[in-house]
Amino acid sequence: MSQHAQRPADLSRHREPTDRRWMPTLAAGLSVGEYIRSVMARLAALIAVVLSAIWALDGQGYFWPAWAWLGLGVPLMLDRTASWAWRRPPGAVRRVSCVWALVSVAAAILVLTWLLTWLLAGVQTFWPAWGLLGLATAGSAYSLFALHDRVLVAHGRRALRARIDLLTHTRRQAVDAQAAELRRIERDLHDGAQARLVALTLQLGRAELRVDQEPELRRLIHDAQREAHRAIAELRDLARGIVPPLLADRGLVAAVESLAARYGLGTAVRSKTHRTLAPAVERTAYFVIAEALTNTAKHASATRSWVQLSAESRALVVVVGDDGRGGADPEGSGLAGLRARVEALDGTLNVLSPAGEGTVLEVDIPCVS
Amino acid sequence: MRVVIAEDLALLREGIVALLRENDIDVVAQVDDGPALLRAIAGHRPDLAIVDVRLPPTFRDEGLRAAIEARRRQPKLGVLVLSQYVETAYANELIGENTAGIGYLLKERIGDVRAFLDALQRVAAGGTVLDRQVVTQLLATRDGRADQLSSLTGREREVLELMAEGRSNTAIAESMVVTPGAVEKHITNIFHKLDLSACDDDHRRVLAVLVYLRVAR
Repeated sequence: MSQHAQRPADLSRHREPTDRRWMPTLAAGLSVGEYIRSVMARLAALIAVVLSAIWALDGQGYFWPAWAWLGLGVPLMLDRTASWAWRRPPGAVRRVSCVWALVSVAAAILVLTWLLTWLLAGVQTFWPAWGLLGLATAGSAYSLFALHDRVLVAHGRRALRARIDLLTHTRRQAVDAQAAELRRIERDLHDGAQARLVALTLQLGRAELRVDQEPELRRLIHDAQREAHRAIAELRDLARGIVPPLLADRGLVAAVESLAARYGLGTAVRSKTHRTLAPAVERTAYFVIAEALTNTAKHASATRSWVQLSAESRALVVVVGDDGRGGADPEGSGLAGLRARVEALDGTLNVLSPAGEGTVLEVDIPCVS
Repeated sequence: MRVVIAEDLALLREGIVALLRENDIDVVAQVDDGPALLRAIAGHRPDLAIVDVRLPPTFRDEGLRAAIEARRRQPKLGVLVLSQYVETAYANELIGENTAGIGYLLKERIGDVRAFLDALQRVAAGGTVLDRQVVTQLLATRDGRADQLSSLTGREREVLELMAEGRSNTAIAESMVVTPGAVEKHITNIFHKLDLSACDDDHRRVLAVLVYLRVAR
């Protein structure tokens, strides 16, 4: 990130001066280094022109200034390529760029030298071929050596990210499937086993009506009914522990309102949620709120408490607060349990509980739609 | 008495129908979902509808909503709602503005057939019958009146819960295996402790208690 942020500034520093005078001045806003480079470049050009003029006045003949041009051009090429390489991000990339800068300057020297020998001395064979091949091989070998781990790491990172995405997705699916399954179990308990037991007690009741004259039999039937009633009550408690029926039937807001009404304190429930939430999200939010309200009732000595539910586009935000004595331990076992529940859905739980200033618990559960 | 039953579990529905027929109650229609209930009520104009809260297709609270709608269309209709669990929110919605002819019981109360038949008669006659668990839940609410409620003894709480079911003193006495005189004493104490004006009428008694508990929320 920071490298990206720096690059425009770098570019602007290396921008050509807008000053149109042939020889730049320090007053044009250049740094000393840039000033020296500009001056050197212009001096080199001046020397090249002067040498060419001497050759022209000297009666021409062998065009020796070309060698001087080459000699003057090499430092300039080195300067240009080195400053280009130096602008690459530090580390392996910059090192590789520097190597390529040297390789390209060396290659340019070879090619230009051959060009001059061909033009001036009529050398026919392209003698730099092996040199160029050697340079290219050396550059490539170094690049491969310097960057191979980088390529592997990038590949590894991509694979890791894909794996995390897949795991996040499948975990959420597993959690959703579990929540749906729990709802099904709750319904099956109520509408299956429990309803059948009710039908059984009804049959027993009808039988009881017919054996008015036989107290022994009546007592037996009565005992059987009592057992059936116990089984029904146990099933009901079990089902309530799995998914509270109001949550299953009417959703989170109705269930939380009913919950809040049970805790006295006139707990105010404000909700901005009209969208359908996934069963796993509703269930987690419900149990977190229930636990938070229980804690408030047990430990906070509060006079006021409130619950806020807001379903935003990407997350359900739940805030449970009170004006009690505060000082709740965020690492305590109760809150740690709630945090584990929330984190199973990639959510976050924050507790603010300064001593004497109440407790506010904020839970954020992402909703994938 | 003419009755319509809305219950989706055939085993239970047939059991109730058999029980009612054995006791000379006329079951004019049996249905298994909300819209069918409304049609049956419009067609047969019964005295009482017995409705399960969870009905197809979604098995949420269709039965309750159908019962409330039926009452809106026919205010004289008695409605007894049966549920696998008690929610005070449902009791409040069902009672609404018009308290006459309302019943809300846990399904398993059917097993106590005498009390169940008695409850049917009272609801059809315009009485109010609430499951004792409604009272238990309301009592469990911690609030400003907690002290007053906690001053009730265990026996008095039990009497209060049975009163919510709209039972007479005699029926309460029978259920608790005490004398009617003892029940009367408990009731006087309850009304005194909760600052309610005493009255003899079973139905008004239920309402007094209910109003007290709802206000307490």
